[in-house]
Amino acid sequence: MKYLWLFIFVFQSHAQRSDFDHINFQKADSIALTCKDEGLYNLPQLAFKLTSNLTTDVERFRAIYKWVCTNIANDYNLYLRNKRKRTKFKNDSLKLTEWNTRFKKEIFRKLLKQEKTICTGYAYIVQELSKLANIDCEIVHGFGKTSTTHIEKSDPPNHSWNAVKLNNKWYLCDPTWASGIPNPETNAFKFKYNDGYFLANPKLFAVNHFPLERQWALIESAPTFDEFLAAPILYGNAYANLTGHNAPKEMYHLIHKYETLQFEYELQSVVNTETIRFLIDNGHHSQKVKPTSIHLENQSLILEQQFDVKGFYDVHLYIGDDLISTYTVKVKS
Amino acid sequence: MKNIVRGMSLMAIVMMAGLTCNLMYAQSPTMALATVADQQLTIKGKVSDDKGALPGVNIVLKGSKVGVVTDENGAFTFPRALSAGDVLVFSFLGYEKQEVKIDADTTFINLILTSDLVEIMGAPNTDKPYKSKRSN
Repeated sequence: MKYLWLFIFVFQSHAQRSDFDHINFQKADSIALTCKDEGLYNLPQLAFKLTSNLTTDVERFRAIYKWVCTNIANDYNLYLRNKRKRTKFKNDSLKLTEWNTRFKKEIFRKLLKQEKTICTGYAYIVQELSKLANIDCEIVHGFGKTSTTHIEKSDPPNHSWNAVKLNNKWYLCDPTWASGIPNPETNAFKFKYNDGYFLANPKLFAVNHFPLERQWALIESAPTFDEFLAAPILYGNAYANLTGHNAPKEMYHLIHKYETLQFEYELQSVVNTETIRFLIDNGHHSQKVKPTSIHLENQSLILEQQFDVKGFYDVHLYIGDDLISTYTVKVKS
Repeated sequence: MKNIVRGMSLMAIVMMAGLTCNLMYAQSPTMALATVADQQLTIKGKVSDDKGALPGVNIVLKGSKVGVVTDENGAFTFPRALSAGDVLVFSFLGYEKQEVKIDADTTFINLILTSDLVEIMGAPNTDKPYKSKRSN
């Protein structure tokens, strides 16, 4: 009976990490670590070293993904230069193609020599190594939304990630965002592996990833581009704490004084509700407050926050020290 | 009558001989190919696109784990001796994948890859909290 339940659950749930809860990735991770000094000059050999001692495809893919995330650095300066040019040549396809060609070469020179790249480079290396290990893997192009991207409707795509087929089911992962973050002041990249982007829940993933080809959302009712643009901001730590961000679906809210807003999340594991806070910022000062109400049942978390003072607020959700998400609230009298 | 029989036997012999010859013909090229296939070929080459040399192109012997990456000048020497019939797969981000079949007299591969429509992009993630732009 227990197994029947498991069977139904596995086949009804979205393709995500929990499908492989029975697998311990320690071996794959330690293999990735022992290959630390391997360069990119011989990809078949690297793929072989990473995968030949592992028995399942998910472990083989894990070793490849972990190696890429912990060895390839994100080059923020490269990103900025590319972004400037892409915006400049937005309406000149000839110049854009020319720039793209020139830039491609530069990226690969950097990738080989310094193991530095931007998203497409991460996604490409994950794909190439996977293919060498006979694992079906695709690069997905689209939009990634962070607290600083400010995507507009006419903008060209800005992000790439991967879809991988394991046991006949497609899964999503984002090696670029999993590898670490650049320091906003110095632009220096810092490795800080975030495990949450590995075979992430497609519903959570869709909040800040919009694929150009809709089928790569891997969910039936994938958000439209407008819905994606209007969605709240999720941070890397959302992927370390949540499997779902159910409500609100929008970033911006207009409410009246004394009204409450409701927030609904699916947690990865039970958290201490005493550590849940909203950081509310009115532009002049900010304060951390305990939500007006907290309701936790199994792994479903429902929060309510009442707003008593007129104003415009940035509302950030924290679980412990982890910044999870941001919303904006305008409170009218 | 004797003559006819003799003539027919002669014809039969000629036909038999013809058949045997044909068989031999059919066999000899196969044998020649077998000798060529045993021949070990060291393959060098250069990969470029319409604008010049391509460094970092990934080259793999199809169906194996053996491969190499082109150097700064787009040049490569395949690390293992190859045989006629082997296929090398050339791939590089943003270019169409190409396969090259090695034949008996291949020593140098000069390959031009054509660009496909991959766009290069990348938005790094950030932990910086969002801050609304305020007019006041």
